[in-house]
Amino acid sequence: MNEPLLVFRGIEKSFAGSQILRNVDLLLYPGNCILLSGKNGAGKSTLLKIIAGLETPEQAEIEYSGESHSWKTVIRSIRKNIIYLHQQPFLFSGTVLSNVAYGLRFTSLNRKQRRESVIEALEWAGLTDVATQDAKTLSRGVQQRVAFTRAWILKPKVLLLDEPMANMDHESREQTSLLLRRMKSSGMSIVVTSHMQQYYDGLADQHFHFKRGRLVP
Amino acid sequence: MSGLLINTQQALQLLLSGDPKLWSIVIISFSVSLKAIVLTTPLALLVAFALNHGNFPGIRFIVAVFNSLLSVPTVVIGLFLYVLLSRQGPFGDLRLLFTQTAMVIGQMFLCFPILVALGYAAIQAADQRVWETARTLGAPSWFSMLTVFYEVRFGLLAAVLTGFGRIISEVGISMMVGGNIMGYTRNITTAIALETSKGEFAQGIALGLVLLTLAFLLTVFLSYIQGKKEFAA
Repeated sequence: MNEPLLVFRGIEKSFAGSQILRNVDLLLYPGNCILLSGKNGAGKSTLLKIIAGLETPEQAEIEYSGESHSWKTVIRSIRKNIIYLHQQPFLFSGTVLSNVAYGLRFTSLNRKQRRESVIEALEWAGLTDVATQDAKTLSRGVQQRVAFTRAWILKPKVLLLDEPMANMDHESREQTSLLLRRMKSSGMSIVVTSHMQQYYDGLADQHFHFKRGRLVP
Repeated sequence: MSGLLINTQQALQLLLSGDPKLWSIVIISFSVSLKAIVLTTPLALLVAFALNHGNFPGIRFIVAVFNSLLSVPTVVIGLFLYVLLSRQGPFGDLRLLFTQTAMVIGQMFLCFPILVALGYAAIQAADQRVWETARTLGAPSWFSMLTVFYEVRFGLLAAVLTGFGRIISEVGISMMVGGNIMGYTRNITTAIALETSKGEFAQGIALGLVLLTLAFLLTVFLSYIQGKKEFAA
């Protein structure tokens, strides 16, 4: 394996006096997919949110650019390369197009480049036909694809997915799986949580299980 | 009964004939209240957002204070402001007493807790994923906040309309710090109080009809917004 993209070490987190994460280490490699499994409430989503900078850990170190930093000091600078997707993605009020374009306004792309990127992304995900539809009226499977596309268009280095295929029909799962493979092959590091290990056969390179707040292979 | 009918008929004639004295009162009312609501809304929504997303001690206490201020009598605010702005008061040198500015300030005090309390409730009802999604997609904090506001826009609009309804129909503040000066600080409610005390019911009823029409329109609009909100959900 290449050099890791990011290394998270010693993540500790507790809620209401109960320790959810105990000294968790996670190494993220480019083009690598990690599957995290565990019971409900084991801390899978919390771990992903800490990596994404959406939750604050009690303790965590991040190895980045060959140096070790505390989570608090570097998370702001690295979070732009990390995107977290909820189990049920939230699509903003508006069309599929406006949702896909949302994050581009915070990049250095100009208006024309942004429009071209959106068109390319919609074609990539096969969403061109629904581009002008109200995003909230779409089926769960299509909403998930819109959320993936909204993330993919920003070309993040790390993609964090919380149960992306839960409650999906077979066809939607197939399409989601295809998008995940494409994202992985483009060099993204993917961390996915799931109860359904079989959906990620051939996609996940590593599998860790949560046991009493620790990650075990 | 016939007296009331005659007065109402005269009131309608005053309204429809475009009586300048009457309409200047209406314009002053709307001008003062619109300024108050426009100036208060941004700050109140920021406070409501900070109370929702902030992580500092005493948040629940502050929210409870704002909730209890919802029912503060307008004359109490009027009295408080009168003391501050009167010649002997700490802001007496500003010579704001009996001006429209004083009325605007008083109405801002009145609608601020309404906007904070109702705005807080609207933002609290927002899905936590809105903020998290905006942040993870690279939006800075201020833009993420605007995104949350947009997602709960119907609730926030209802809060603003409720605040506007409250201030345009208040009488205590306008009377105490406005002084009810014709053509300058006389608004709908203070004019109704004055005309009624003089026995001039027609103008009072005409102005009352304006307020009732406004109340009706606000209610219809709020119902429409409520319908849109349920549809969006």
